[in-house]
Amino acid sequence: MAINAGRLLRVNLSSGRISSEDIPGTVAADFIGGRGYGIRYLYDELTPGTDPLGEQNKLLFITGPIAGTMAQGVSRWMVCTRSPLTGAFARSVCGADFGAWLKFTGYEIIIIEGKAERPVYIHLAGDGCQILDAREIWGQNTREAQSWLNQSHGKNTRTACIGPAGENLVKYAAIVSDRRTAGRCGTGTVMGAKNLKAIAITAQRKTFLADPDAYDKLAREQVNIIRGNDGFKNHKEWGTTGTQDVTNEIGIYPVRNFRYGQQTDYEQISGEQYRKLRTGDIGCYSCPARCGKVHSVTSGTYAGAHSEGPEYESIWAFTGPIESNSIEASIAADQLCDDLGLDTISTGSSIGFAYELYEKGLLKKSDTDGLELVYGRHEPMIAMIKKIGRREGIGDLLAEGTKRAAASIGKGAEAGAIQVKGLELPAYEPRGAKSQGYNYATASIGASHCYGYAAQDIFGAPFPHPTDRFSEENADVVIFNQDGSAYKETGIICAFAGGWGWVPGLFGKMLKAARGIDILADNAYLNKVGERIFNLERAFNVREGFNRKDDTLPVRIRTEPLHTRKAKGEGQMVSHQDEFLDKYYQLRGWTKDGVPAADKLKALDLDSVLKDMAVKI
Amino acid sequence: MSIEIIIPPFLQRLAGDAGTVHVNGITVSECLGELVRQYPGLKTRLFTGKGELRKSINIFINGKTAYPGERDRTLQDADKIYITSIIMGG
Repeated sequence: MAINAGRLLRVNLSSGRISSEDIPGTVAADFIGGRGYGIRYLYDELTPGTDPLGEQNKLLFITGPIAGTMAQGVSRWMVCTRSPLTGAFARSVCGADFGAWLKFTGYEIIIIEGKAERPVYIHLAGDGCQILDAREIWGQNTREAQSWLNQSHGKNTRTACIGPAGENLVKYAAIVSDRRTAGRCGTGTVMGAKNLKAIAITAQRKTFLADPDAYDKLAREQVNIIRGNDGFKNHKEWGTTGTQDVTNEIGIYPVRNFRYGQQTDYEQISGEQYRKLRTGDIGCYSCPARCGKVHSVTSGTYAGAHSEGPEYESIWAFTGPIESNSIEASIAADQLCDDLGLDTISTGSSIGFAYELYEKGLLKKSDTDGLELVYGRHEPMIAMIKKIGRREGIGDLLAEGTKRAAASIGKGAEAGAIQVKGLELPAYEPRGAKSQGYNYATASIGASHCYGYAAQDIFGAPFPHPTDRFSEENADVVIFNQDGSAYKETGIICAFAGGWGWVPGLFGKMLKAARGIDILADNAYLNKVGERIFNLERAFNVREGFNRKDDTLPVRIRTEPLHTRKAKGEGQMVSHQDEFLDKYYQLRGWTKDGVPAADKLKALDLDSVLKDMAVKI
Repeated sequence: MSIEIIIPPFLQRLAGDAGTVHVNGITVSECLGELVRQYPGLKTRLFTGKGELRKSINIFINGKTAYPGERDRTLQDADKIYITSIIMGG
């Protein structure tokens, strides 16, 4: 059986050169696809020290090996690059249809190189790829731009674009497709720096599989498993619009910039309350869950606000940091961020940071363009989102992210920058879920909840073993979660769909049928690939100068007690970070400074990386 | 026989802040029934009005998923039942 490793399209915006190539079978065998392809190509092609916003940085749009097929929940896509927010490896994941459309073209990766002289967009269709003038849509929000592109290129077109935030180089600008977002790490910023407004793909459904008959049988089995699964049914009903019911209950809903773990009058923002404003459901390609819950506001200050979302992280981003209980304001905020093309987590966190500084007198009304940043008041939050997207006034400062903004303000502002490696923390308080916290500290891209989600701490999941959520001794669990996420992201399967009874059992077999590579059906090998990916990401970061000193939770988390209000965990801090890192590095096979050691690299067949790491040890 | 039920953090307040509850029962159904007799506040969080296990709840026995058909699973002495949520973070 011939190996089907996918094809790669290179678009150089400086020279205008467009070329394509086969992805080698050896790369598919070693890295499978998706995030594996992302780190493999970035490590090989980016020179250390590349300016993330410079011409030499590369922006990779990647779809998965089984995207666009009849299988369910397998058509997400991701963007990989060097992050302008963190300087580290960046991977940002998105849904809707774009991943399937990219796969229909036969390409699994588009590598964007160089920088266009003037705003452009890329159009990829059956008759080829073109770099086209984007001046008509430069400055438009993401809804307007996508509408224009779809009208220009027809109904079989799907797009991924930036909004004004990306054009203005907000450091956490996102890439938006339909109403879904590749949010984290500033991948939209890199796109804006290249003067690239959008990629539009016009395509008809086509599959590329090594063994279509075998794949077809497996995919049908997968569909049946999913449709009968209670987890799927629950997700279809709620999406993640009720997760705050869990996190607030156990005191890990971060409030007032990670000073409290429960929201006052929380009942006003419960899952049931959001359900009252729900007006529809939207989903991704070939996924029956339709977990995107649409909310609409019909009266009051935010009448007319309409968003596919907010989901959990965005619910939190626009309630917890400023302790607002206005569902309507959170819907308006979510819509604004989608339109402007902003990461909701970093946006909400940056605003929460500003509110704290205002409370403490480090920011005054003269600094905030007259806005009074008082907890509970959501109107200033809405105003600040617009300012951030346009880099106006205080928005220009906050657009840099909390780490840089704090450094610029000084006077102790650094204590309020709740970030790891520059990436703002998501909606789980680490002092009440310490394995989640240590995932934040050690994840390749900075504080990402998805990189190694600690379901053990948060939901009581008992595999590989149960955890005490206040314990700092679960390095093995953090690694289990991180490596598991890494191998699943070779398929860019939805993290939720992956929990509906077919992973790992069927996943590897489907990869084998898609790629024509037998070893992919071996679950132990999939785990090894996950570990290989994580280690290569680590090597990328080490090569950029990251080491143990960067694997650290914010000072607040390590030195200030958590105030849970009524939940368990009052007074908790993260107190044994050094001991944790010692154990984590030992289990990872890294040096005491967090550099992958030679033995580990050889065991993972990463011999090509040895010389780069040797100079760092 | 004596069975330990591990209560997830988000339900512990309704179980008197207990992380573990000891019950007697032969099947998962019997054990959960005993649990809600001890802690009635858990009933509506675990079961629908029709007495079915809520779709958001996942049951593990000794660390392995008991789905599907979890309520009918028979247990052995010293088995541990883990109640968790279907993962719903995002």
